[in-house]
Amino acid sequence: MPLSLDRIEALAPDQSSLAAARKLLKPASWPTLAEGEGLIWGECQGSGATPYRVAVNEADAGYKCTCPSRKFPCKHTLALMWMRVDRPTTFAPAPVPEWVKDWLSRRRGSSATPVKPRDESKPKSKASIHLTQTTETETVADAKAEQRAAAAHERARLEREAAVLAGLEDLDVWLLDQAQHGMANFVVQAAQSCRTISQRLVDSKASGLAGRLDALPTRLFTLPDPVRPTAAIRELGQIYLISQAYRRAAEIPPLLAADAKQAVGWSVTRETLLGDSDALRVDAEWRVFAVISEAQADRLRRVETWLWRESGTDQSPSCALLVDFVPLAGGATTGGYLVGDHVEAEMCFYPSAIPLRAQIATLKKGATQSSEPLKMPVGTLSACYAQYEEALATLPWLGTFPLTFRSATLRRTGSQLFIHEENGLSLPIASSQSNEVLPLASVGHVDGIGLWNSYEFTLAWAETSLGRWVRA
Amino acid sequence: MKASILHAKVLPSLLGGTSRHPLPAELIHPSGSASDGTLEMLSLLSQALRFTRPFSPDSFAVEPEIKDERAILDAALRRPLIRFLKGKSATDHPARALARAFDRLRLRPHPFDLLMIDGFVRSHAEKLGPIAHHWADRQKPEAETLSYFDPELLDESNWAQARLSRRVAFLEQRRREDADAARALLESTWPNEEAEARFRLLQALQTRLSGPDQPFLNTLEKDRAPRVRALAAKFLSRLGAGGGNPSLLACLERIKQTESGLLRKRRVLQLELPANAKDQAASRWILQTFDEVSFNELAGAVNLSENDLIEASAKDDPLLLALALVATNDRRLDLLERVVEHLPHAWERMFESGLDSIGTMTEPERHRWAEIIVQPYRKELPTAYALWDWLHRLLDAAAPAPVMSILLKADLLKKLPNREHSSPPWLELLAAICPSPQRADLRAQLAGFEPALSANSLALLDILDGMEKNRTHV
Repeated sequence: MPLSLDRIEALAPDQSSLAAARKLLKPASWPTLAEGEGLIWGECQGSGATPYRVAVNEADAGYKCTCPSRKFPCKHTLALMWMRVDRPTTFAPAPVPEWVKDWLSRRRGSSATPVKPRDESKPKSKASIHLTQTTETETVADAKAEQRAAAAHERARLEREAAVLAGLEDLDVWLLDQAQHGMANFVVQAAQSCRTISQRLVDSKASGLAGRLDALPTRLFTLPDPVRPTAAIRELGQIYLISQAYRRAAEIPPLLAADAKQAVGWSVTRETLLGDSDALRVDAEWRVFAVISEAQADRLRRVETWLWRESGTDQSPSCALLVDFVPLAGGATTGGYLVGDHVEAEMCFYPSAIPLRAQIATLKKGATQSSEPLKMPVGTLSACYAQYEEALATLPWLGTFPLTFRSATLRRTGSQLFIHEENGLSLPIASSQSNEVLPLASVGHVDGIGLWNSYEFTLAWAETSLGRWVRA
Repeated sequence: MKASILHAKVLPSLLGGTSRHPLPAELIHPSGSASDGTLEMLSLLSQALRFTRPFSPDSFAVEPEIKDERAILDAALRRPLIRFLKGKSATDHPARALARAFDRLRLRPHPFDLLMIDGFVRSHAEKLGPIAHHWADRQKPEAETLSYFDPELLDESNWAQARLSRRVAFLEQRRREDADAARALLESTWPNEEAEARFRLLQALQTRLSGPDQPFLNTLEKDRAPRVRALAAKFLSRLGAGGGNPSLLACLERIKQTESGLLRKRRVLQLELPANAKDQAASRWILQTFDEVSFNELAGAVNLSENDLIEASAKDDPLLLALALVATNDRRLDLLERVVEHLPHAWERMFESGLDSIGTMTEPERHRWAEIIVQPYRKELPTAYALWDWLHRLLDAAAPAPVMSILLKADLLKKLPNREHSSPPWLELLAAICPSPQRADLRAQLAGFEPALSANSLALLDILDGMEKNRTHV
C-alpha cells in the first residue's frame, strides 16, 4: 500500500494533527530516519529527553509510536509518513532494529493485514518496545493442564449457552409485551424499553442481539415518523427469527445456523476463521467502493470497508466486507483503505448462508489507487434487486446489501431523492446524502453501486459523464 | 398465507396492540405449546414487509437546467484545492484570491467537490459560476432564488439575467460608450429590480452623469428604498437640480475660510472638528460627514476650482483627509493624487476613517488608487498588518505590480516583530495579493521561513499557478 498524501489525510484523526505533523517535517527533528523490509522508522526529538520511536509498515499503513498522545495516528506517525511521501531519499536503508521487530511480532493486525503463523519456537516478546532483551522461556506442554483448560473452556461454553437460552426466554416475553401494547406505543418509548432488554441480553452473554436492540431506537428515529411503527415490526420480527433460528439450529441448514449464532453474539475470531480449512476463500482482484464508519455506543468506531470483486468466477461472492473496530477517542475514521483502492488478495469469508463479511487471508498485492471504472455487471437495478430478494429469502435477517445499477438517473420528489431506473425500480436515497448526491441530479444517466439496508439506498460510487463520483 | 392478508388483518393488530385488537384466531398457528402464536405472526409479517418493494413515485420534479459556460477546474488541481480549503487558514485572504482566480479565469469548481468546499462556495458563490451559485442557494425557497445565467459575453439582450456584479460592470461600460443608451437600458429593467440591485445599478450612473439623466433621477425621489432615494438626490444635487444637498450644508458649516499671504492673498480652508471627535473618532466623523458630497459640489460651494480647493486645504490634514475620501468616492484619481501630495499618510488616515468600499471603481482604477496611496511609503512601508489587510479587502484584486515590487524590495517579512506568531497571516496575505509575474520572487522570500509557516502560502501559489497554466492551455 504505497503511502500518499491522500492516504495520510484520510488516516489523520483531524486537521490539527496534520498541521502539527507539518511542523515536524524538518529532518533536523529526526535524528534517525531509516527504511528496510517494507518498514520505515525514525526517532523524533520531542520535548522529553529521549526521542519518540515511530515505526510504520508501508504494506498496510500500520504504525506505532512511543509518544503518549491519545490521537491515533499521532503527529509523529503522520510526519514520518509525510516525509516518506515528500522526500523518500532521506530514509537510509538499514537493518530493522530490535524495537521495530518487537512491535512487528506483537502486531495482531487489522482486517487489512494477512496473518502470519506465529513461530512457536521463538520466545514471546516483552510488552514494551523499549525493552528488547531476550528472555529465556522454555515451556513444556503439560498434558494435564491442557486437559484442565479444555474442560474449563467447555464448562464456560455450556454456561454461556445456558445463559443465552435464558436470555432468549426473557426476550420472548419482552417481545410479546411489545406486541400486546402495540408498535405505535413501542416507538414512543423505544429508547427506554430497548435499553432494559438490551442490558438483560448483555448479562445473558447474547451481545449480538443486545447490540441490535440497543441500536434499534436510533435506527427508527432516522426514519420518517409514519413508517416507524411498521419498521419496528420489521426489526422486532427479525429479532424473533434470529432467536428462533438459534434455538432450532439443528433443524436448519448449517450455514444459516452459523449466521444465527453470530447474530446472537458468538464471535468467530480472526485466527479461528483463518485456521478453518472449510471456510470459503476467494482469490481475486478487489476494488474498495465504500468505506463507512459509524460511532458505536461502546466507544468504538465500526469501520466497514466494502470491496467489489473484479475478477474470478461468477459463482463466488461478488462483494466482501471488512469490518474493523477502532477506539473513538483516537479519532481515526478509516481502516487504512481508501475508496478506489485496488487490492489483490485471498478473502476468507465468515461462515454464512450469504457470505459477505470476510478477512484478508493472503494479500497478494497491496492497495494501489486506480482511476479505472469499476467493473460492474451489466444487469439493471431491478435485476440486482431481484438478487437481493433471493438473498433475503435465504437469510431472512440479511442486513446491508450491495446493489449495482446501470444507466439510472437521480430524481427528486419534494425533498426526497431517488435512484431511478426508467420503467423499473426507484429506491429512496439515504436522507443523510441529500446534499452530497445533488450534483448527480444534473449529469444524466449514471452507472454505479450502493448499499441497500431495506429502507434507504446509500449511494457509494457512480461513473458519470463528469467522471467518478464517490461517497465523501 | 398471502402478504395481502397479513397486511389487512395482522398489521392493524400489531400496530394497535394485540391486547386491544386480538389477532384473528383463524390465522394463528403456534409453533409450540409455550407460544400463543403472536410472535410467529410478528416475524411472518416482518418478512412480508421486508419483501414489499419500496414505493416508487409516479412522477418526479423537473430539475432546473443551469447552463454554465465556464470550464471545470483541472482534475489535477481538485484534490489540492479541497485539501487547501479544508485545511486551517489564518485569514480569509487565500479564499478571496482563489475566488477571484475562478472568476477571472472563467473557471468553476467540479460539481462533485461542492459539498467538500461548501463554506468557500457559500462565501464566494457569485464568483464561482452559476452551478456553484445554485448550490449555495439550494436551501433557499425557489421564489428567493435568482436565475442562474452567466454567459461568456453580455449584451443588451441578456444582461438582465446575469449576476449583479457583472451587470453593474456591463452598465458602467455602456455608460462610458453611450451614456443615454445605458440609462435607457437601466430604465427598461428598473421596475423588476430588487432594492440591492437598484442601488448598485444606480451607482453606475455616476459614470458620465449629465443633464439628460435628470428626468430619470427625478422619478427615483419616491423610490421605496431609502438608499436609492438618497443616491438619486445626491446625483440630482450634483446636476444642480433638486433641493440643496443637506450633507453639503453640514460640511460647509464646519469649513472655516480665511486668507493668508502678504503680497498675494490666498484662500485658506480649515475643517473645524467637533470637540468630542478626537484621533480615530475624528477620521470616522469626517467619513460620515463627507460621504454624501461630491468634489465638484464642494469646490463650487466655496467658489474655488477643484485644484484650488486642494491647494487651499493643503495645511489642514483633516480637510485633506475629507478631500481624499471624496475623491475616492467620486473615482477622481487625478484629484486624489494631488491630495496625497499634501497628505502622504493618506493610507493610514483613510484606514482609520473606516472606509470599507471604494465604490464602483474598475480594476485598473482600483490598481491606480492603490498605487497612489502606497507610493509615499515606498521608502518605509508600514508593518501594521491591519493596513495591508484593509488594502487587499478594498482592492479585491491582486496588487498592482509597482506596489508588489515595493513590497518585495522592502523585504517586509524580515522586519516583522515576533516572527513565529505574526508570520502566517502575513504570508497568506502576500501570497493572495501577489500578481502572477512576481510569484517567483515571493517564493524566494518564502523559502526563508519554516515549512510549517509558509506551507499554506506556497500551496496557494501552486494552486493559482496551476489554474492560470491550465486556463492558458484551454
